[in-house]
Amino acid sequence: MYQQLSNLSDKELIARARKLKDREAEGVLLERYSHLLVAICLPALKNNAGANAQTLFPSLLQRLSNGLKTQSIQKASEWVHQTARTYFAHPDKQIPYYPSREAREQLHTENRVEKAASNTIEKQTLITQIQQALAGLSTDDRYLVEQFYLENKTFADLAAQKGYTPDKVRHLLKKAKSRLAMQLTNQSHVK
Amino acid sequence: MSNSISYNERLLKIFAGVRCLNKDQLPRYLEGRLTDIEKHLVEQHLVDCDLCFDALQILHKEGQLEKYVRLSNGIQQYIRDSIKPVSQLQKMERYVRKAKKRESMLIYFWLVAFIAGGGALMYLMQQYNRNKPVMARPAAVPVVPAAAMAASPPPATDSQTLQTRPVTLASSTGAVTTPPATVTPPPPAANDSAKTAALKKAAEDSLARKAAAVAAARAADSLRKKAAAKDSVARHTVKKDTPVMAAATADKTEKPVKQDDNNTAGKEKAESSSNASKPAATKAAPSSSTVVDTDEYLYRAAMVYQQQGNLDEAISRYKRLTANTGRVGEMARYQMAVCYRSKGQTGKAKRMFKEVVRMDGTMKQAAQQALDNL
Repeated sequence: MYQQLSNLSDKELIARARKLKDREAEGVLLERYSHLLVAICLPALKNNAGANAQTLFPSLLQRLSNGLKTQSIQKASEWVHQTARTYFAHPDKQIPYYPSREAREQLHTENRVEKAASNTIEKQTLITQIQQALAGLSTDDRYLVEQFYLENKTFADLAAQKGYTPDKVRHLLKKAKSRLAMQLTNQSHVK
Repeated sequence: MSNSISYNERLLKIFAGVRCLNKDQLPRYLEGRLTDIEKHLVEQHLVDCDLCFDALQILHKEGQLEKYVRLSNGIQQYIRDSIKPVSQLQKMERYVRKAKKRESMLIYFWLVAFIAGGGALMYLMQQYNRNKPVMARPAAVPVVPAAAMAASPPPATDSQTLQTRPVTLASSTGAVTTPPATVTPPPPAANDSAKTAALKKAAEDSLARKAAAVAAARAADSLRKKAAAKDSVARHTVKKDTPVMAAATADKTEKPVKQDDNNTAGKEKAESSSNASKPAATKAAPSSSTVVDTDEYLYRAAMVYQQQGNLDEAISRYKRLTANTGRVGEMARYQMAVCYRSKGQTGKAKRMFKEVVRMDGTMKQAAQQALDNL
């Protein structure tokens, strides 16, 4: 059962946990992000003397579990990240997760691409739209996107070419992708 | 063309979803032990995922890989431990719920089966009770009387045969006979009257006539036996008769009674004359046996009604005969009890059977047996 659940996507696990009240699915989902949760909690454990792994992680997991039952989660990684950040910022306050507009637009575009995988006409339409959106980007952004996604260059390569740090390259790419998603969403709305 | 297709396909790659880094990929990426393709996929994901990027950054800066591995193992174990018992409990609950459901379904099944079985049994009982009298009447009703009647002293029996045969016998022998008197239960009275009439007529002829009477009586006895043997056949013929016919026969029997009354009034006149001794002898016998005959015919008519299923009419006829304390009265009571039993009025049937037992007649044993069966 565990093996079968671990092959499911985040969306399916969330659905099972919410609709069927499947605790195993919930466990598999939390376990999938637990190592990342540990990694982002390390500074808090190190800096905060009162923080203890024995109490921090159970309470954080409990909060995630509660959020899973009550909140609408579109992207699990973003939900975990936001929940952890709000936990450290306001330990006594449970702020509900709500995805940003950029994240929603990007998710929408990702879903469109996923759906168009088996539909040639839709795929062609989407490619045309992406080309148009790419043309609408600034030269630097277009260059970074084309080099990274189409030419398979790494952060380090692009950073070396442009003289940026890899973090800045990643940040610029994220911004460019967000703009691209926004343009594509606008195009679909105009239609 | 192929280049353009691959270029277009790669455009879609910009928005292809890539999963977060798993537990193994994270340290390998930090240590630079990923293949180019794998590294590119991870970096594609890192563009979108702040969680993975933050985790990598923290691990890269802090350098607490050992602690990270230990804590991540611990948290995974914690999640498994906290989830597993719950899931086991859930499974147990589900199993128990299923078992309960199955049990309740079984209970419902047996309940429904029991109700259906009970209903079927009730229906069958009703059908049996409804059909029982119809099935039992032709077999049960004639059997007891037939046996009883065969054992009993012969009654007037079938009207025509016993009335006509003695006449023919008398005509053949040329002697004065006492046709029904010899057959009916109170023959002594009839015989006495015949004898006195014979004595009055002539002393000479008395011996010869007595011999003739004895011969006629013997002949009547043989006829009686034959009649008894034919009784069952005669009853079958009676069965077919309608109640109207039975009533007609009853009326016929009543008429002779009246005639007999008239005849008894003129009997004294007839006694004065010696020539009138023959009719007096023939008519004196019916005068004593007419009441019995009437009862007998009433009984027969009631039997016909009973055999035809008209139990109420039969009972009313039998009731008329209850005044009779003799053989016919006993039979009438017995048949009335049978009728009540057929109607389902067991209380009345028991009472009647008890009366029959109390009368201590030939039907006592049959009545006692019927009582035991009730």
